Amino acid sequence: MAKRCFVWLSAIVLLFPLIGGLFSRALAGTPGEAGEIMRRSALVQFYSGNDMRAKVTMRLLSKEGGERVRELIMTRRNVKAGGDQKYFLLFRQPADVRDMTFLVWKYPQKDSDRWLYIPAIKLVKRIAANDKRSSFVGSDFSYEDVSGRAAEEDNHTLLREEKYGGKEVLVIKSVPKDGKNADFGYKVSWIDKGNFVLWKEEYYDKRGALFKVFTADEVKPIQGFPTTVKRTMKNVQTGHWTEAAYGEVRYNLGLTDGVFSERSLRNPPKELAR
Amino acid sequence: MKCFAAVALSAALSLYPCASVLALSLHGFVEGAGGFRLKDDPAHVRDATMGEGRLQVELSQVGPADSRLFFKADLIGDGVEERGDADLREFYLDVSPAPVIDIRAGRQILTWGTGDLIFINDLFPKDFVSFFIGRSLEYLKVGSDAVKFSLYPGPFSLDLVAVPHFTPSEVPQGERLSFFNPFTDRIAAPDESLSMRKPAATTANTELALRLYRTFGSYEGALYGFRGFFKEPVGMDPADGTLFYPKLSVYGASMRGPFLQGVASIESGYYDSREDRPGTNPLIENSSLRYLLGYEREIWTDFTVRAQYYLEQMLESGAYKASLPPGAPEKKEVRHLLFLRLTQLLRYQTVELSLVGFYGPSDEDGMVNPQVSCKITDRLSIALGANVFFGKKDFTQFGQLERDDNLYLRLRASY
Repeated sequence: MAKRCFVWLSAIVLLFPLIGGLFSRALAGTPGEAGEIMRRSALVQFYSGNDMRAKVTMRLLSKEGGERVRELIMTRRNVKAGGDQKYFLLFRQPADVRDMTFLVWKYPQKDSDRWLYIPAIKLVKRIAANDKRSSFVGSDFSYEDVSGRAAEEDNHTLLREEKYGGKEVLVIKSVPKDGKNADFGYKVSWIDKGNFVLWKEEYYDKRGALFKVFTADEVKPIQGFPTTVKRTMKNVQTGHWTEAAYGEVRYNLGLTDGVFSERSLRNPPKELAR
Repeated sequence: MKCFAAVALSAALSLYPCASVLALSLHGFVEGAGGFRLKDDPAHVRDATMGEGRLQVELSQVGPADSRLFFKADLIGDGVEERGDADLREFYLDVSPAPVIDIRAGRQILTWGTGDLIFINDLFPKDFVSFFIGRSLEYLKVGSDAVKFSLYPGPFSLDLVAVPHFTPSEVPQGERLSFFNPFTDRIAAPDESLSMRKPAATTANTELALRLYRTFGSYEGALYGFRGFFKEPVGMDPADGTLFYPKLSVYGASMRGPFLQGVASIESGYYDSREDRPGTNPLIENSSLRYLLGYEREIWTDFTVRAQYYLEQMLESGAYKASLPPGAPEKKEVRHLLFLRLTQLLRYQTVELSLVGFYGPSDEDGMVNPQVSCKITDRLSIALGANVFFGKKDFTQFGQLERDDNLYLRLRASY
């Protein structure tokens, strides 16, 4: 009898952490919490400061050894934290897009408004932009990778906690609520437990095969905001990848709404162009 | 002016070694372009429609108090017209005397409106010859010698342009493309040319163009006004056998914004042909109402479709018909034009396949322009395309070019 009791007790004691673990995992896996982590991560990635300016240099690299360079000045202003944003981009390289400017009014819940200015013919063109997943300037980054995807567009599940590059990270799986609104079947994100920096992201296609991998290669604090100054997006199916460096990053420049207008498209303000 | 362009261009080139020291921005390209006819054309001796080498130099210098000087010129070796040429494309000074005012003075390219290759309220000069023989898109626009004031007083913005020196649009005149001679009512013979008379550069002839615009949420609205001259020679003077550019005023409006997961636009204009308001002079273009509807949408990733519908309604068509001499070609009261542009980007947006088509159901004419362009490297690009024209009548816009179908190739190295 005592022996049987001991076996049961031992079983319960041994199983307890397991059951507890399962229980806590089930709790952690509630979409609410994982969704909140993704929302906070998006704030860190795409909404730091009231505004921001950076010189972005992208190297587009193919496995055959080809290299193309895109250089642009990116300026961003938050209309509402976590909500609407305005972007102004001035291209510096390559030669065929030099001095082109690009204006985006981004709304998380509907299609962005986009304007492109072609300096050779002084034309302000409106861009039909219902595909947020299309490539940004021919790189492996999509528009969404550059300006953010609303956390509300996906269902999120916390898969596990682990160490990534010496950091405590949360690993979250995100499945688009509307499959038509995404070019991936699901994605898995490695998010810093301490400051919500996105360290790595894997995109799986609709058949479940890995196709794109994002990595934050260098993150440093700028004016108190953790800033990903070097990042890579690699397409593992084509072997093509893009390295992006964000230089001369400044936050809270006090930019007004007027900067994000047709006037700037046609005649970029000197403080943004320099 | 050409001489000045050539001198300025060589001066600019000699600056190249010290550009970085002077904080000058110096760029440009070298381009070779060739094109030839796909059909025999009795009106043309040469098979080539284009055969040229170009050197473009673009210089930009930022000055004190947010000012900027901009210069862009082409040196051209032209095998078709068998001559060297210099073309001052742009040369202007930008100043901002106050935070809400920008002024641009000098030779400048001006563009506004919502159309894609179809223009209603954009009454600035264009070079349709360049477009029809397959030069790159930037040569569709010609600079105007003008002063532009841009005012940003608050909720709306205003552009006011004064053009003291008239610049016409380039239209087919026989050197490369056939044209319909309205004096003889047939396609012009080889070496036949028409003289065109520009309005004199007087204060009274200074052209004025105005645009008042603002955004309403995601929608852009604009009102336009113009007082000047037709940019195409749509007036005939039988006394000396010349064509001329009649007086014109235009009042218009446009709206553009998101619609059904794409972008829709509408533009309209009232063309007031001031030298023939009653429409009784068949030698001068009548007044008209013009409308343009546009819609563009990305159907799948990197594949975009743009469709446009243009309608031009002649006013006083009764008077026009009554005044027309017997046997003269008669223009329709209503002219429709359909436009389609398909664009597919491939290979990380380095290859572009495009197809542009015009079809005029009322004139029964049109054109098709397929093109493949490829960015071989960041500096080197190539484009191969064709222009195919069709039309039943010689006097219509595309019909007169029916024997000018051409194939073209361009290779450009940028620096």
